[in-house]
Amino acid sequence: MSETIIKLLIAIVAAPLVGAIIAGLDRKVTARMQGRVGPPILQPIYDVLKLLIKQPIFLNRVQILYAFMHLAFMMLTLVLLILGQDLLLTLFVHAFATISLILGGMCVRSPYSRIGSQRKTLMLLAYEPILVIMVVGIYLSQGSFMASDVVAAGAKPLLLSLPLVFIAYMMAMAIELQKSPFDVASSHHAHQEIVKGVTLEYAGPFLAIIEIAHFYEVFLLFAVVYFFWAPYNLANAAVGMALAAGAFLFHIVLDNTFARLPAMWIVRFMWVIVFLMATTNIIWLYRLGTI
Amino acid sequence: MSVLAKSPWVVHFNCNSCNGCDIEFLACLCPTYDVERFGVVHVGNPKHADILVVTGSVNHRNARVLANVYQQMPSPKVVVACGVCTSSGGIFADCYNVLGGVDKFIPVDVFVPGCPPRPEAMIDGIVKAVGILAAKAKGIETPVADKPRITVSPSPKPVDETPAQEPDEVGAVK
Amino acid sequence: MNDINTLALLGVIAGPVIFAAAIYFTKQTKLRNILVLGAALLTSALGIFIAASPSANVYPDSWVVYAGAGLEIVMTLAVLAIAYNIRSWAVGLFGTIQLVLVVISEFMHGESSIGPAFVVDDLSRVMVAIVSVVGSLILVYSIGYMKEHEHHAPATARSTNTFMFFLVGFIGAMNGLVLANDMKWLGCFFEATTICSFVLIGHDRTREAAKNAARAILINSFGGVALTIGAFLALLKGSTQYSGILYHADIIAFSFIALAGLVKSAQMPFQSWLLGAMVAPTPVSALLHSATMVNIGVYLVLRAAPAFVGTKLMYFIAIIGAFSFAATSALAIAQSNGKKVLAYSTIGNLGLIFTCAGIDSPLGYSAAIMLLCFHAVSKGLLFLCMGTIEQKIGSRDIEDMGSLLREMPLTTVITLIGMASMLVPPFGMLLSKWLAIEAAISSPIVLLLVVIGSALTVLFWAKWIGRITTVSYHPWYTIERISISKQSVLAILATIVVIAGLGAILLYRDLFVDIAIRAYQGTYISQSDMKLFEAAGNIPYWPFMAFIGLALVAGILAYFTVNASNVRAPFLCGENVPGSTKTYEFRSVKDSSHLAWSSSLYLRHIFEESKTTMWANLIAAVIILSMFAAIGVL
Ligand code: SF4
Repeated sequence: MSETIIKLLIAIVAAPLVGAIIAGLDRKVTARMQGRVGPPILQPIYDVLKLLIKQPIFLNRVQILYAFMHLAFMMLTLVLLILGQDLLLTLFVHAFATISLILGGMCVRSPYSRIGSQRKTLMLLAYEPILVIMVVGIYLSQGSFMASDVVAAGAKPLLLSLPLVFIAYMMAMAIELQKSPFDVASSHHAHQEIVKGVTLEYAGPFLAIIEIAHFYEVFLLFAVVYFFWAPYNLANAAVGMALAAGAFLFHIVLDNTFARLPAMWIVRFMWVIVFLMATTNIIWLYRLGTI
Repeated sequence: MSVLAKSPWVVHFNCNSCNGCDIEFLACLCPTYDVERFGVVHVGNPKHADILVVTGSVNHRNARVLANVYQQMPSPKVVVACGVCTSSGGIFADCYNVLGGVDKFIPVDVFVPGCPPRPEAMIDGIVKAVGILAAKAKGIETPVADKPRITVSPSPKPVDETPAQEPDEVGAVK
Repeated sequence: MNDINTLALLGVIAGPVIFAAAIYFTKQTKLRNILVLGAALLTSALGIFIAASPSANVYPDSWVVYAGAGLEIVMTLAVLAIAYNIRSWAVGLFGTIQLVLVVISEFMHGESSIGPAFVVDDLSRVMVAIVSVVGSLILVYSIGYMKEHEHHAPATARSTNTFMFFLVGFIGAMNGLVLANDMKWLGCFFEATTICSFVLIGHDRTREAAKNAARAILINSFGGVALTIGAFLALLKGSTQYSGILYHADIIAFSFIALAGLVKSAQMPFQSWLLGAMVAPTPVSALLHSATMVNIGVYLVLRAAPAFVGTKLMYFIAIIGAFSFAATSALAIAQSNGKKVLAYSTIGNLGLIFTCAGIDSPLGYSAAIMLLCFHAVSKGLLFLCMGTIEQKIGSRDIEDMGSLLREMPLTTVITLIGMASMLVPPFGMLLSKWLAIEAAISSPIVLLLVVIGSALTVLFWAKWIGRITTVSYHPWYTIERISISKQSVLAILATIVVIAGLGAILLYRDLFVDIAIRAYQGTYISQSDMKLFEAAGNIPYWPFMAFIGLALVAGILAYFTVNASNVRAPFLCGENVPGSTKTYEFRSVKDSSHLAWSSSLYLRHIFEESKTTMWANLIAAVIILSMFAAIGVL
């Protein structure tokens, strides 16, 4: 029991740091690709620390509650995964974390923020089924919904049985990381047509909360990529790391080569092409009769 | 150094500029100058910003917008006024709609002279602003910025006294 | 079976009916209200008593069975009378078919002494608890609601006495239905609910109300015909009781009963009566959607689910349910009428329950019962909130609920609790949705439909919650004044929702799992199903509580510590009107001022109602026909 608690505490502290460093690397590598020097790798951490000491300006108090809910549910997602809990339930918890953010953007009388929220809802609609399908695929190939069983030693790498699902997941991940061409709801770059979308009306410490939640999310997303190759084995861990690194580079290249697309286009793309791709993989697994 | 100084987020507000200053400001973000080195992020909205970069003079319509944008920034905040327009109205000083420099409406911390200022000058201005930001966070009084201004009042516009010639007939203008 | 239990059973069915009769003849409003309150108290007390008492069978004397037969004929005649009244030949036809079948079956003898006429088992105890508690609360609510409704109801409306008569009687009939085992009694109560819903929907007697009531009785008497045919077919094989049908695994008879269930639960393509039902006063909608009418269908199927494990019929029921879930979730997105959104969500959730029941594994079964309970309470609460809101702001449009949090903070918070219970893990609804997907893992089509449906539901709930929590900064809120009966019912229901919701995991582990295990005793369950079932029972409880608690504590702390001087106007490109009382007012061309406004997302060009409904109905009809084809009826 105490061992679990220590593990959880470490995870809760370390995950956002790792997420922040990934985000920092992201900015650095992007800068280098554009021929710039780029910010220090720890820049996201500086940003958050700065936001924490800024004046806490806000519009209404509901907004603040939603920000805390966003963070809490993102942390809960992590905790459930560390506890080796049911993946589908974890996914729902994660979806609700996103919904909290959406609601936070909706509950203010700011048109930009509201439009951002609506787009974010569409994005949720676009990638959520894919993630559920992914979990179903994991069940079909490993015979359990439990995260602990999936990462258990001896389980065969997921990537081998779920190659198409992995590609679909890459797309879903790009949406969640707010990478072009999917960054319609809120973007890391400045001049967007809806200013900053969902997070527009959050400032100071409240924005910091959302940033921290985003670090958790970044960590989780890359952790999932890592677990596409079974981890409990040093050699495999290296492959998993390489996979995560590859995903990282893929997203940066994607971000830098594409222009932003309309929200409905993204939904259609995800529901038709990506969703079909994922389901093809699933049907293949059903035909193999692994369960 | 305070963390404030490590991550200055900048919002850029174009008051009544001729776009000369704006283009130079955006050049700061380009690979040659790359202000992101200093953690500068060009945010689109005042609520996330620490530094307000203003370009251009203030006119009747944008005075309240400028005030609103400034008011919506969370403190500590710093205003950097770029270009001569922001200090006096510049070459637009005499326009019928121009009210004057930015400092008439919001407190300005750094003036960057030039028409337009070079990107290096702007970066210098931002770096100065970062220092002021850190000081403000500690509650230190910061001096009001000096205006780099030699007031040149242009001579009164010559007024054409002769009445406009009325055409006698259609098409009869000589 | 001891006498007290029999008496309680009698009381929970006949009690409301007797009270209803008394209410009908009461002249004084005060006395009437006291009687309604009395009926509510009696029913809920007896309902809880039955729910807490052990399972039992009731074998009454043979005259009771004959009484059931007689009453069924009376009810059928009543349907015929209504058919004459509204000049509907179709209802008349359905009524006649029923009458003929019922009369013929009078002269046939089955093995009538085999089973009990009334059964108190796990499922019916759960149902009685739902009907009695939620139903009674709705009764109490309607006292306050009708007082206001009388003032601005159209002059054509029926008297409130009639309304209360049918409302109270409805609960008695519903209790009877879930306890009856004898097919005659079942049919009698089935018709009784049809008639009650007809009168209640048409209460205002406006043109629209009359039309929708006629549609309701048309569709529901079709369900009645299906049930009677089912009972008749069963009788041909000798069983006069529902348990007999299950015992013989009489799939043909059951397929018709399931069809009746689909009709009553307003599954696609029979959903239009439930959508039309929202013209009625809100307590009626609440009663139809949460405690009574729509639960009949799922109850009938759930009761049979363990007996028909692995049959094609169950598979098709799962598909119909899942399809209804996906289709109505899509349809709900395009609606801005709050009641209609709730109605579609009801159909969807009922569809999900059908899916869970049709998957026929203990996991699905437990999910179905859990969904049934949580849905009844949450939806009842949401409808009552909608009624309160509608009476206050005079609109049921979601877009008009923009400043609800300021105008009626108490009701809004309670509404939010209701909505949160539909959306937030680990509240019951979400938990059941999760179980449903896990249970559906063995049938890919069902799975896909459920996944699509649950992704779509998020869209309309999020939109709605976002709209009603939209608010500018106010230093404090003044609680609105609503009548005591409404307020107390909302408070009680909200408390139930919160407690049950937070304890959903515990309830599942300690109650619903046992019910499912008992129901599936002696049935073959595959290894993987069993493994899932066991795993689902082991979800940890504390992380949820810890983090939800954390968020709430942080949020509440922030609520009281934030400084009003830090409030800023929304970002409108700096064009906010300085000093305006409305922070979202901005200057536009020629110095005109406007209020910033953005509508919610409805995707009307994609999910246009009539077109989507048409296609969905078509597909659903095909599925139902293929269901009958698959079991060899067609
Ligand atoms: S200072 Fe010069 S370049 Fe800048 S806005 Fe004014 S006129 Fe244009």
